[in-house]
Amino acid sequence: MTQTVAAPAPEVAPSTPAAGPQDHRRERRRHRLKLLALHASTLLLLLSAWWFVTAMEWVSPLYLPPPGDVWDAFVRANTDHPVAAGSDRIVRGEQGYYLWEHLIASLQRIAIGVGAAIVVGIPLGLVMGTTWLGVVLEPYLNFLRSLPPLAYIGLLIVWFGIGDTSKVWLLFLAAFPPIAMATISGVHGVRQDQVNAVRSLGASRRQVLTAVVLPASTPDILTGIRVATGFAWTTVVAAEIANGIPGIGGLAYLAGNQLQTALVIACIVVIGIAAILLDLGLKSLEKVLVPWRGKA
Amino acid sequence: MTDRHDRRVEFRGVRHHFTVGGAAVPALDRIDLTIEPGEFVTLAGPSGCGKTTLLRLLAGFMTASEGTVAVGGDAVRGPGEERGVVFQQPTLYPWLSVRRNVELGPKLRGVSAHDRAETASRYLEMVGLADFEKHRPYELSGGMQQRCQIARVLANEPDIVLMDEPFGALDALTRERLQSELLEIWRATGRTILFITHSVDEAVFLGSRVLVMSPRPGRIVLDRPAVFSDGGVRVPADEIRALPEYVALCDEVRGAIHAPTAVA
Ligand SMILES: Nc1ncnc2c1ncn2[C@@H]1O[C@H](COP(=O)(O)OP(=O)(O)O)[C@@H](O)[C@H]1O
Ligand SMILES: [Mg+2]
Repeated sequence: MTQTVAAPAPEVAPSTPAAGPQDHRRERRRHRLKLLALHASTLLLLLSAWWFVTAMEWVSPLYLPPPGDVWDAFVRANTDHPVAAGSDRIVRGEQGYYLWEHLIASLQRIAIGVGAAIVVGIPLGLVMGTTWLGVVLEPYLNFLRSLPPLAYIGLLIVWFGIGDTSKVWLLFLAAFPPIAMATISGVHGVRQDQVNAVRSLGASRRQVLTAVVLPASTPDILTGIRVATGFAWTTVVAAEIANGIPGIGGLAYLAGNQLQTALVIACIVVIGIAAILLDLGLKSLEKVLVPWRGKA
Repeated sequence: MTDRHDRRVEFRGVRHHFTVGGAAVPALDRIDLTIEPGEFVTLAGPSGCGKTTLLRLLAGFMTASEGTVAVGGDAVRGPGEERGVVFQQPTLYPWLSVRRNVELGPKLRGVSAHDRAETASRYLEMVGLADFEKHRPYELSGGMQQRCQIARVLANEPDIVLMDEPFGALDALTRERLQSELLEIWRATGRTILFITHSVDEAVFLGSRVLVMSPRPGRIVLDRPAVFSDGGVRVPADEIRALPEYVALCDEVRGAIHAPTAVA
């Protein structure tokens, strides 16, 4: 398993010189395949190294279980299985939920927290960016932004209880400063003549906001949402330390306490992949919503 | 609302200076200028003499340091739909298609979708962008963007059209076509037009009145009527350009631009 892959870049048949745009597309596809092969071989190398280190028993499986064990933990966490080897009692996944249910639970909290942050953060940013309220409120926004969310989770639990409400509040408070700040900086970045132009077309104050300021700020706002979502991810995992089942962060924490290292690693991998996919999704949303980014 | 024919433009004792690093930089000296409704005023002058500043004061984008700018007897307090502005740099909205950019003014004023589509089509056709209506502005060349901007302003049917070197970035052919379209529109609608240009020929050819500004701080040093055909009779462009009066006025304008101390 240690052999490296000599990524066989598929040779393309020489094309007729007339096929210009097709050549271009083929060139791009070839480039993408090369990149994919590079990533695949890097990953394979890392996995092999991991496997090798554990197979040679250089470290105790308690600290670093072999890849196979992690895979088994991942499968176990997603299926009904006996509670212990040889037992008749069948349990569902881990802690009564499948791993993907834990993941969904965390994603739901993020969706609600970030969703609320979008609903509140964008209008607030618009108002702060266009009126004197910005000067008044900016220090408080900065204050909130600089607090690590874990510093006030205790307070939120006292206020809203140990259940989901305090977790969602935490995510909201973590996600909304970056969105509001991004909106403000978007508003401040609007070219004055873009505002002048629409006012010369007869736009009211309100129309200036909806027809120009808001759309012109969308690229910044979307970046803010991406930052906020990333931040919410790291926060949700931490928030689930207390009473976080179902929840992928809660599961990872619990598994760690029970020395189920393989399950912890399985959770970590899932968290990482989910975060990357989420960000990729937002990035492609950006391409759809602001195709002019960097062009105008 | 004031009647169109009351929309006289008046600059009274207007001075303007910019503050750059704490120091006052004078841009306009003493501008006293009246533009009657329906005039096509062209304004020429060396670059940096304050032409854009004068236009922006009238557009309402800023307030004069001294003096008053009034339209129809009311002091200008800000931009307004009766004063359309064609910017020196195309100022289009990249989140809207070419057509939606042109429709924007009528849309903001609540014109029905059907009517504004019709208006937009007319002006898109006029500036030769009908085939590009679905494109986004950043997919157009600079000259096409400028034409789109002109269509957007005209589609809003302002009484006063302020144009800041609108044809500067266009190729000669397009420029000539748009020049005659603009003259056509002016004759047909009786709009007031203030048109800034650095081309002497363009100033004399287009304007019913030509102004020349001195180098910074700008003052108006030449003010001449420039009508070369008596009302209604359409004289072909090359015939106008061959007229001795036309050539003489071009020389006078050129002389005024190059002689900073010229007297009006
Ligand atoms: N926003 C500004 N801040 C400082 N100086 C300015 C500003 N706008 C224009 N100026 C100065 O005022 C003078 C006139 O500028 P402008 O009206 O743009 O000239 P023109 O359009 O005739 O080329 C120039 O010297 C220019 O540097
Ligand atoms: Mg200028």
